[in-house]
Amino acid sequence: MQIGNTLSEQLGRYLDLAAGEAKLTAQNMANIDTPGYRAVGIDFAAEMRSALEGIRQGQAVGQVHVKPEEGLIARPDGNNVSMDRESLNLAEAQLKFKTGVSLLRQQYQTVMDAIHADK
Amino acid sequence: MNLFGLMEISGSALQAERMRAEVVAANMANAETTRTASGAPYQRQHVVFAANQGANAQGNSGFFDSLTAAAGTAQLSLPMPAPLPLLGSSSPGQPAGGVHIAQVMADSAAPLKRYDPGHPDAGADGYVSYPDINPLTEMVDLMGATRAYGLNSSAVQAEKAMITSALEIAKA
Repeated sequence: MQIGNTLSEQLGRYLDLAAGEAKLTAQNMANIDTPGYRAVGIDFAAEMRSALEGIRQGQAVGQVHVKPEEGLIARPDGNNVSMDRESLNLAEAQLKFKTGVSLLRQQYQTVMDAIHADK
Repeated sequence: MNLFGLMEISGSALQAERMRAEVVAANMANAETTRTASGAPYQRQHVVFAANQGANAQGNSGFFDSLTAAAGTAQLSLPMPAPLPLLGSSSPGQPAGGVHIAQVMADSAAPLKRYDPGHPDAGADGYVSYPDINPLTEMVDLMGATRAYGLNSSAVQAEKAMITSALEIAKA
């Protein structure tokens, strides 16, 4: 029996990406005082596009490209993590995750409504 | 690794920053220590942070990667999507992407000399060797540690909120 649909699968990938983004932000935050560490991130829009394309073609989850962040000012110790930038990124990833969760909940609520339709 | 892996990363940073604050406290407490077990004056200590394995890796080669690779070749017909390679595996001691203290090293700066012939640790010339500890430097270091600790603890709060909201999916 199929309970999920394409949209719930897409939302699943969206949640994975949001969690991945939060993970990289946490990683950057953890290494805020590590000499020589360079901030990393993902291109969320591009990753989401390729995830949607992958779902359309029925492919397995592809590799996510973690790339160093460009255009940040490095401190003398070679570290270029910015505290406020990472805080903003984390807040953003958190909101994305919550959006995905509530959309996914609605998806499953629809199924629940269909189950309880006779009541 | 899952959402709890995020907390492990932030937790490793909390641990490292607390250790840094402890070292600062030890430095300040021993600012006037002229005698240690080795007989020499106390030496200022530094912590050296290092990123855990996998922190800057372009593609993690963890367990999940091998799993997804195996799933790709064996053509498993499971409807479950494989976990994202981004949320790669981690060893229990050091979460991938986190931070750890590589070493606590002693400062090589020469001790400060103060003329005090009556002091029991005074040399033949009447000078006493004191550790070269500047309270200002230590306070700045402590402030940095406190800020970074706060930043990572707010990250833990955010991660907790994410896990709690993920639980909402299961609630009808």
